[in-house]
Amino acid sequence: MANQSGSVYGLTILSPIARSAHGSESHSLAIRQCLEKLPRGADSPFAKVSSTHMARLVVMDDVVYFGRPSREEHLRSKYLIFESNFDGDLDPYLRRLAVEVPQEVHAVWRHCEGYPGVENVDAFIRYMKRCQVETTFFFADVNDKTVQQTLQALQTQSAVTAFIEKNQGKPAEELQRAFVKFIDSLQSAPPPVPGIVQGRELADE
Amino acid sequence: MSKLDATDIQGFALRGYTFPLARFLFVRISDTKKGQAFVAELVSRLTTGEKWDEKHKPRTTVNVALTYPGLVALGLPQASLQGFPVEFVQGMKARGGILCDVGKNAPQHWDGVWQEGPVHVWLGIYAESSEELEQKCAELTALAERTGGAAIVGKQDAAALVIDGKPSRKEHFGYTDGFGNPDYLGVDRDTQPGQGKLAPDGKSWLPLATGELLLGYADEAGELPVAPVPHLLANNGTFMVYRKLHQNVATFRAYMKEKGKLYPGGEEKLKAKFVGRWRDGTPLELSPDHGDAAIVADNNRNVNFTYGGDADGARCPLSAHIRRANPRDAFGFHGGLTNRRRITRRGLTYGPYTPDGEPGDDKAEHGVIFMALNASIFRQFEFVQQQWIEYGNDARQGNDRDALLGNHEGKGKFVVPGTDDAANPPFICGGLPSFVELRGGDYFFIPSITALKMIGVGAVDPR
Amino acid sequence: MAEKQGVMSNINGKQYAMNAISPMKPWKTWILRAFFFFLGHFPSAGRDLVNLSFIHFARWVIVRRNQFPRLSEHQPPDNLRYDYLLFFSNFNGTWNQYIDAFSAVLSRGLDAIWCWSEKFPGAAPVTPFKEYIAQGQFETDYYYTAYPHATTNDVKAAHRVTAALEALAQQRGKTAAEFEKAYRQFLVSVQGDLGATGEAPVGT
Repeated sequence: MANQSGSVYGLTILSPIARSAHGSESHSLAIRQCLEKLPRGADSPFAKVSSTHMARLVVMDDVVYFGRPSREEHLRSKYLIFESNFDGDLDPYLRRLAVEVPQEVHAVWRHCEGYPGVENVDAFIRYMKRCQVETTFFFADVNDKTVQQTLQALQTQSAVTAFIEKNQGKPAEELQRAFVKFIDSLQSAPPPVPGIVQGRELADE
Repeated sequence: MSKLDATDIQGFALRGYTFPLARFLFVRISDTKKGQAFVAELVSRLTTGEKWDEKHKPRTTVNVALTYPGLVALGLPQASLQGFPVEFVQGMKARGGILCDVGKNAPQHWDGVWQEGPVHVWLGIYAESSEELEQKCAELTALAERTGGAAIVGKQDAAALVIDGKPSRKEHFGYTDGFGNPDYLGVDRDTQPGQGKLAPDGKSWLPLATGELLLGYADEAGELPVAPVPHLLANNGTFMVYRKLHQNVATFRAYMKEKGKLYPGGEEKLKAKFVGRWRDGTPLELSPDHGDAAIVADNNRNVNFTYGGDADGARCPLSAHIRRANPRDAFGFHGGLTNRRRITRRGLTYGPYTPDGEPGDDKAEHGVIFMALNASIFRQFEFVQQQWIEYGNDARQGNDRDALLGNHEGKGKFVVPGTDDAANPPFICGGLPSFVELRGGDYFFIPSITALKMIGVGAVDPR
Repeated sequence: MAEKQGVMSNINGKQYAMNAISPMKPWKTWILRAFFFFLGHFPSAGRDLVNLSFIHFARWVIVRRNQFPRLSEHQPPDNLRYDYLLFFSNFNGTWNQYIDAFSAVLSRGLDAIWCWSEKFPGAAPVTPFKEYIAQGQFETDYYYTAYPHATTNDVKAAHRVTAALEALAQQRGKTAAEFEKAYRQFLVSVQGDLGATGEAPVGT
């Protein structure tokens, strides 16, 4: 399935942006302004739909003309591109978007042609799938770990590094005792938050 | 590819001078016509790239380089000025974000001459004796005064460190320096295996494309580097990065003493791990357990090694300085990712050596004048500084910086890989202080003799 | 460092979001599809891409000229002559570094993908290639990443460390001497994967 690599799904959606009385200019401008205001980091809607590894929203105004001898041509509509790399299957992901971050989805997609709203989740999913374009070739360097597993692993890596330095040269019994405490503390650590820079230097410990 | 016209290229660009003493004069131009006259008179006094044998070695050398403000002050036409690369035009101070010249390396800690700026001209004078050095500098100062329009606004003395009464190749932390300058096609110099790029057989070495050093020649990507118009202004020139690097000798000695007690290999070995060479210059790749004077003395061996057989860094750590600065084949692809990131170094120490056994003084005026030559400051020096020295992703070391040179400010660590032998375990050096601090510098253009003549008579025509 | 709102940027932490488009004559699209099919079934052909190790996720999307979504009669129909190749990459490092690396060591593979696009100059030499990409690249309006502090190297290292730690944790009930031996072996297995994570270098 070209859209998938391992357990990661590569979603590509091209939503035509609605035309208004003056062509689709004002809607695409509105989308851009909305995207400027969309929360980033831990407050991003994609942090909340936490199966998202990486995602982007791009307003594509037109195709590009590279010069002669190619012929010049233009798209009649602008498109909102939604490129997302997430864990699991498509339907559950689209459902999460509609159910968990309806305000943000609505703020962006209401400027798009044929958008039915988010209240009727099935209609929303159908609409998004109508705009989906098949990914021809999808590359995922790590395709068998979820977002949570990845964030957890990064946190563990940081903690392990600090542990190793702190316990250098300790005698065997002390080392073992410290290790047991360390494993326990790891297990009770709060889960890491997606979307923000983490990773503390050793000296901060 | 025929040999280069060494008479048109300044000697400083082609050769590492081996003189015990040097002085760098920093000049500001206050009048375009008079400044041009100064440059015109300088040309006949410059040392070119012609090779000399021991019998005909000059007693002094003189070379000149210009900053972008200097080129403006010398009246270069706008169209020529606009053809210079962006990073050179901006100058080193403006590039501080990329270079991580922040905190203690930020401009507010620089020597006055670099803070006040702008410096227009760099004059490099090397000499065999201090009398000859003074005489040559007096000559050049008199020339500046006579032509008017050019004033010396600062100077920097430098000298090979005298240790036990003799000039040495060591720097202030005690490492033997000066290995590993690249070998370029067409440059007539004594070459050594290991200086160039890896040949397809993965064992032997070829010279780098000339355009990695000099403008007007094809570089490793088969293109001509970004250069201003006209050709005559750019060709046979190169760019120099000048950075005065203060060394915190006391911090270094104390840190190594403390960590050396904890590291099972001992203090000398730990020092070797930081750099990738023992302090006597022996590469760790060739001799992981002890220095070896025979290797150091053998020019066929002392830079001739690869990292392919040491993927884990058990001999030379992944984060060691020479492995970061010149990864050779460490990234695979037969070195294809490293061939366009080489620089030529012309550094020299300044300040007296602190004798071994003394604790040292971080406040003393001592360090290294680091001078790097390359055809593209952006693609070569700045890239290495930003991506390989102050960052570690390509070396697979995450955010970890070069242990010796990095701007650590008390945080940061260095991992010494080991084996599962209890006598040689992996070891982490944490809480790294900044051993080296930046005290100023800038980006310079080292023009060819022809270009300088044109500048001197105001005859640069950009078409 | 707090995420700046209202900054349209291709960069988020250590990731760069590149979007590029190029036109293709429809008869050439089939050749490219065949090439991607081949790549998908012979993963060793993509080995060099994996070894370069600075892409998290990347995709190529061929949009045929009659495939641009049209949802209603309001939307005027397109009448295009070319198919379009869209490229989306989430990579580490600077724009220049990324393209320099590909041009230096993977140019044949890139040529196999882009030579079917109109006016493609070849992936080497690098300057015309960079000009082509710059012309076809368009800006990202909003970019999210769950782990801005980590490159793909960092992520892979973290997973290796986690796996090694899990194995070591199984040994924590052994005698002190046995545990110490297991710990030493653990150290050696993770020693190359302990780089710190955090802020990215300034974009150039």
